[in-house]
Amino acid sequence: MIGNGSHTIGRARWPDRIIWLGLFLILLLMIAPFVWMFVVSLSREVFWTPSGKDWLPGGWSLRNFGDLFSVLPFGRYFFNSAFVAVAVTGANIVFCFLVGYAFARRTFPLKRTAFFSVLAVLMVPAYVLIIPLFILINKLGWYDTYLALIVPFAVNPLGIVLVRQYVSGFPRDLEYAAEVDGAGALRIIFGIIMPICRPVLAVLAIQVFWLNWNSFLFPFIFTDQNVRTLPVALAMFRGYQAVDWPHLFAAASLATVPVIVLFLFFQRHIISGLTAGAVKG
Amino acid sequence: MRKLGWAQGHSTGTFGLLLPWLFTFALFWLYPLAHSAFLSLTDYNPLTGAFRLVGLRHYARLFSDPDFLLALKNTCIFVIGTVPVTTAFALFLALGVNRKLPLRGLFRAGYFVPTLTATVVVALLFVHLYAQGGYLHTLASMLGLAEADRGLLLSEKTALLSVMVMDIWVSAGYYMLLFLAALQQVPQDLYAQAELCGASAWQKLRFVTLPLIKQITLYVVLINTIKSFQIFTEIFVMTQGGPVGATSTVVYFVYREGFEKFRMGYASAGAYVLFFVILLISIVQARFFGFFRRADS
Repeated sequence: MIGNGSHTIGRARWPDRIIWLGLFLILLLMIAPFVWMFVVSLSREVFWTPSGKDWLPGGWSLRNFGDLFSVLPFGRYFFNSAFVAVAVTGANIVFCFLVGYAFARRTFPLKRTAFFSVLAVLMVPAYVLIIPLFILINKLGWYDTYLALIVPFAVNPLGIVLVRQYVSGFPRDLEYAAEVDGAGALRIIFGIIMPICRPVLAVLAIQVFWLNWNSFLFPFIFTDQNVRTLPVALAMFRGYQAVDWPHLFAAASLATVPVIVLFLFFQRHIISGLTAGAVKG
Repeated sequence: MRKLGWAQGHSTGTFGLLLPWLFTFALFWLYPLAHSAFLSLTDYNPLTGAFRLVGLRHYARLFSDPDFLLALKNTCIFVIGTVPVTTAFALFLALGVNRKLPLRGLFRAGYFVPTLTATVVVALLFVHLYAQGGYLHTLASMLGLAEADRGLLLSEKTALLSVMVMDIWVSAGYYMLLFLAALQQVPQDLYAQAELCGASAWQKLRFVTLPLIKQITLYVVLINTIKSFQIFTEIFVMTQGGPVGATSTVVYFVYREGFEKFRMGYASAGAYVLFFVILLISIVQARFFGFFRRADS
């Protein structure tokens, strides 16, 4: 801190200004496409396409957003996305907690092997499994049901690692004391350990919700009309119509706003979720 | 004695606690991985469910299949082209926002927005910008980088490159955060000491910062490589592998063979080849960085 402060005063002033300008231009570059998306989503010129002469569509209105729910089935897609993301998040909070707790506190045969399975899976490229998973989902009779989008994703291996790390940091005295007081295993797990794990579970929850809300490939191959999620619907929307950019971008905005809001409120949690696996490991 | 329970490793219901993971691991990781290996040796047809064993014939055929070789080549170009640039760009951004500059919180958040957004949304956005007459196409045409009468994604020369540029734009913010977390753990007095010794800004970066963030750099390169080898969503949304296969990638090839041509055995063989390529490269990268770490210390 002091080191940095001292050189802002001295010779590094001009470089800092140039760097700031560069960073500012990059910021514009990063944000501008999203601003553009919102701008187009407000236009009523449905079949407007970008062309040399026509830089901006006209006819401003919020009605495109209304159309998503009245004319188009985006209300349903939005609900599907939200329901699946919430269910997967809830499942991960409970299951990653239980499994992570067991790895932190219990001793059992083949514990190292079992934990290795968690770490190994983190390195397996999931996309190479689309075909066997698709066949499995069909065999289970889960195709185009919520189960297909929830059960396979209910225990995130990274969540197990996070919880294990966090619980290992607590003194065992907590549990000894509770046990002396006569608390049973379940009371200890849910009444004592789970509440103090709230910070790490919040990190996990936000991370899982975010990844799930945005996920495309698995929802795409596991679903049809019935439980189609927003990202899948967006990709399909482009497929079967002459591209209606204003409505498409209105729907894309609808898919984007929740994650932006989530980020604004939980920026710290998202950042620590992303970096937890990296910096310490 | 119950009192000694914890010390000895309390075991009431341990199996129950582990069950969610054992179930997930067995059913959704181990079984598919094994099933995929088996499928790749058969000509399984998902419509009839019938299959015959064909041995390693699929693997042999893959390496003489121009579609697969092109997809593999495109995927390698994508990885080799994007990973180093993204890493350098992300490090640059992290070094920038790590300085005590006004509005750096805003910069950090802003750079992260593309990563935050669903890949499908970003891909659609760029379809619009890359289309003929779209802002980026117009810009590229003015710079003489694009054909004026065709969108960037419709020309064989620019399609893959356009997807790569988008990928760098999207992922830089994510890796920036990882670098930033590592940079913030570098002890500040090291810089003060280096300054006392008369080190220039470049020397501080080269001899203080970079050695200390080697670990995270390995992680960034590794996960970005694994992720980039699996590129699919961008391709599906933006180009469907076209024009004339110019942007087809391995996962897209697997998808096409498996879900459009219903050749799931052949597609599984393609997926397995990718699996081994990723595994091999991960190991090589880990060794490579590990080697340098040992040589330094």
